[in-house]
Amino acid sequence: MEAFQQSFPSHALAWPPSRKWALAGVVGSGNLEVLIEPNPAAPDTVSYSVETPIPGYRDSWLAALSDFSAHYAVGGTTITLHDQGAPPVVVKLRLRQALDLLTSAQS
Amino acid sequence: MPQVPYDSRRRNKASRLSRASSLAQGKLVPHEKTADLLRAVLEPGDILCLEGDNQKQADFLAAELAGLDPSELRDIHLVMSCITLPSHIELFKKGMIKKVDFAYAGPQGAAVAELLAAGKFPIGAIHTYNELYARYYIDLTPRVALIAAAKADRAGNLFLAANTEETPAIVEPTAFYDGIVIAQVNEIVDTLPRIDVPTDQVDFVIEAPYPMHLTALFTRDPAAITDTQILMAMIAIKGIYQEYEVESLNHGIGFDTAAIELLLPTYGEELGLKGKICKYWMVNPLPTMIPAIESGWVDTVFSVGGEVGMERYTAARSDIYFTGRDGSFHSNRPMGQLAGHYALDMFIGASLQIDIHGNSSTVSKGRITGFGGAPNMGCQPNGRRHPSKAWLKAGREANPGPGALPGRKLVVQMVETFQAGRVPTFVETLDAQDPSVKSAMQGVAPIMIYGDDVTHIVTEEGIANLGACRTQEERTAAIRGVAGYTPVGLKRSSADTAALRARGIIKLPEDLGVAPARANRGLLAAQEIKDLVRWSGGLYDPPSQFVDW
Amino acid sequence: MSLTPYHELKARERIAVIADAGSFREILPPPERVMSTYLPKLGIPVSFDDGLAIGHATIGGKPVYLAAQVGQFVGGSVGEVHSAKLVGLLKSAARDKIPCVFLIESGGVRLHEGSSGEIGIAEAIRAVFSCRAAGATTLAVIGSDIGAYGGMGILSSCCDFRLMTEHGRLGISGPIVIEKWMGKQAFDSANRALVWKTSGGKTRYVLGDADLLVNDSADSVRAGIISFLSKSAKPDLAMVEARQASLEARLEKFGQISDPDEIWKTCGITDIAAASLAEAEDFAKSFHPQNS
Repeated sequence: MEAFQQSFPSHALAWPPSRKWALAGVVGSGNLEVLIEPNPAAPDTVSYSVETPIPGYRDSWLAALSDFSAHYAVGGTTITLHDQGAPPVVVKLRLRQALDLLTSAQS
Repeated sequence: MPQVPYDSRRRNKASRLSRASSLAQGKLVPHEKTADLLRAVLEPGDILCLEGDNQKQADFLAAELAGLDPSELRDIHLVMSCITLPSHIELFKKGMIKKVDFAYAGPQGAAVAELLAAGKFPIGAIHTYNELYARYYIDLTPRVALIAAAKADRAGNLFLAANTEETPAIVEPTAFYDGIVIAQVNEIVDTLPRIDVPTDQVDFVIEAPYPMHLTALFTRDPAAITDTQILMAMIAIKGIYQEYEVESLNHGIGFDTAAIELLLPTYGEELGLKGKICKYWMVNPLPTMIPAIESGWVDTVFSVGGEVGMERYTAARSDIYFTGRDGSFHSNRPMGQLAGHYALDMFIGASLQIDIHGNSSTVSKGRITGFGGAPNMGCQPNGRRHPSKAWLKAGREANPGPGALPGRKLVVQMVETFQAGRVPTFVETLDAQDPSVKSAMQGVAPIMIYGDDVTHIVTEEGIANLGACRTQEERTAAIRGVAGYTPVGLKRSSADTAALRARGIIKLPEDLGVAPARANRGLLAAQEIKDLVRWSGGLYDPPSQFVDW
Repeated sequence: MSLTPYHELKARERIAVIADAGSFREILPPPERVMSTYLPKLGIPVSFDDGLAIGHATIGGKPVYLAAQVGQFVGGSVGEVHSAKLVGLLKSAARDKIPCVFLIESGGVRLHEGSSGEIGIAEAIRAVFSCRAAGATTLAVIGSDIGAYGGMGILSSCCDFRLMTEHGRLGISGPIVIEKWMGKQAFDSANRALVWKTSGGKTRYVLGDADLLVNDSADSVRAGIISFLSKSAKPDLAMVEARQASLEARLEKFGQISDPDEIWKTCGITDIAAASLAEAEDFAKSFHPQNS
């Protein structure tokens, strides 16, 4: 299991988010779960925490997370990822789903 | 007086037949006497052809052959398209084979690599299918061919049913150059539904104690198609199928192309493409094409082989599929490959690895897999002269100068940037370039599709139009541009990517108007095998390993 | 409304389409991070909810306790945390006399966690009976390919009612385990037709192990759940004896049959091919005489 943390600058999330947390995805083969939680203390920063059973792809992860932080306004959140071998396309999809869920109107 | 070879093969054949005459009644030999028959007709040094490709196997004859003693069978030059059964491996373990020329060893790739390392796998060459069949007429004509058929009549005529496959390609050169043809059949009947191989080309027929092995190789369960594959299918349909108006094509056995087939009646319909694309196919009877066929998308399908469970469906759709006078499906591997080479607008397939030059390979270290038929279709047919919209458009993109070829086939590689377990598909150097692999291939790296032949690479990130690139540097930059977060992709420069995007050489989903949010399984015309059965009106009979009802 | 088939939905998506909109309140939600302490030691990824989402909600306006298993996470297996959440939910249901609905997708006990999973599922089964004794309905909803096997197969069978779709499977030993111990001749686990005809929803319904068979859609499953919420099957000695007698009769009637189609025929299904292809609810209406 490889674990790492990294923060990136990102435009501040539309505040306040409509939920206290949002979860997307599941921990299953080729998939991952993404938990996004507001962190009002650092409105222009997103902090990622990644756990993955496949070591050696830190650069690839950080490139994908950096791109996501630049493309979307996720500043003021912490995002925790429990990976089980998800390809980057699935990582990006789950990040977007979690963000959409956090900011969507309560149903 | 020097011996001039006027008819030595004919005289030799006669003596072999006389040695076997006591075993047969007419041409029929009881299966208990198979080993005796093989002992009688085979001679050391023979070129022996054993029928077996990735679907259909003369498995009884292979098992009987492998059961012989090395003293009875030796110095054999084996020619066969696919080394797939444990009995094939046994021949090498027993040291019976002095040389082997073949095309594919997928399921036994690891065993072949082991034998090779032990010096027990004397490769002549590894071929593509049609290349090997061609050599059967030139310098590898079999002395004895062991083949498989569905049925025989008592005179020795053969019925091949749906899986004609490569049988005629083996029988014809053997029979017409004084070789001996021995057929295993599932059953002997009084009257055949139709005659696919006339008895004139057959010497012995054996009713095998069990039916020949058939693999349902082309059945893809829609339940296993992922949202990512659907995204790639949407990208391909808009960026290539629609863009080039691809009318004639081949699909492989991947889930990516299965997704395309299942999107035609939904996404394709929405784009108004019915009647404009995907009309003529050279492909096996894919169950995942049933919804498109039932929705009126498809004009014709010719196939290199059959598919288990599609017998009743293909027979009931004779406007689409080629069928015999008995009404049942007909296939032909060499002719299908030839059609795929010359008569298609597009070949689209998947691969395990693609390098920065666009070369692709399915070889990995420790596995000798060979080629099969993909390279026969996934290459530029420079002998082609007839135009089509897609061929001319791809030609215009590629060949701006005077004296250039007017057209190009679309040769498309469709891959996710990572394989399962985060193994990158894009690599700087292919495993096929590893010296240990190359040495097994007489120094030639086993490239499946050459980068020079490839016109497009499709990934979940977008499309790279290699055909429109002007230099090798541009091609590499285009490949990096769609290689995502693989090490190859991480080396891209954003300026290069932006420049190629501005020229339309790289197209991202947003450039094509493809919304990734729409890429989900709800867009498939069938989401599970049972839906395919329903689409077929109950005519499709999926094999039991795909049935969960 | 969801167009995605029920069997393709993930646990939390199932809750979203089964519970009344906005009514679900999760107990021990992901930010609480109550996770397995065993899996990290084995190098296996953990999940925020340990593969089980629990909470209270209303379904069709009626209050329920609701649990949904994540079949993708270690096969939906029941580990220490997972089972503790099950037990707590069941005890709350017994206390409050509110129905407890399980959206099941599990191969059984999580063997990685040794005996803690075994003990946990035994406690959960005891808690099921506490619910039943208190008149709090327990309902097992089995509509996924993973199904309900091992300890979760037992737990499901201990509930008041079982609702299945044809995708759902119910059993104790899984097909691969049976093949491993009895041989491929006895049971070919790769023969999906055989596997589903043995343990799938339609056959479980024909045999009476499932009380209701519904179509593989969220709306059908939801409607089916609602139909059970005012019912209960409080066990007593007579009920247990009657069940024992019916199982003995079943063994007598079918014990020698090795082809599941023969069982269907014995139960009055004549057109096996059509019955196999039929949608679950059409199958239940037209093909099953409801008298076996």
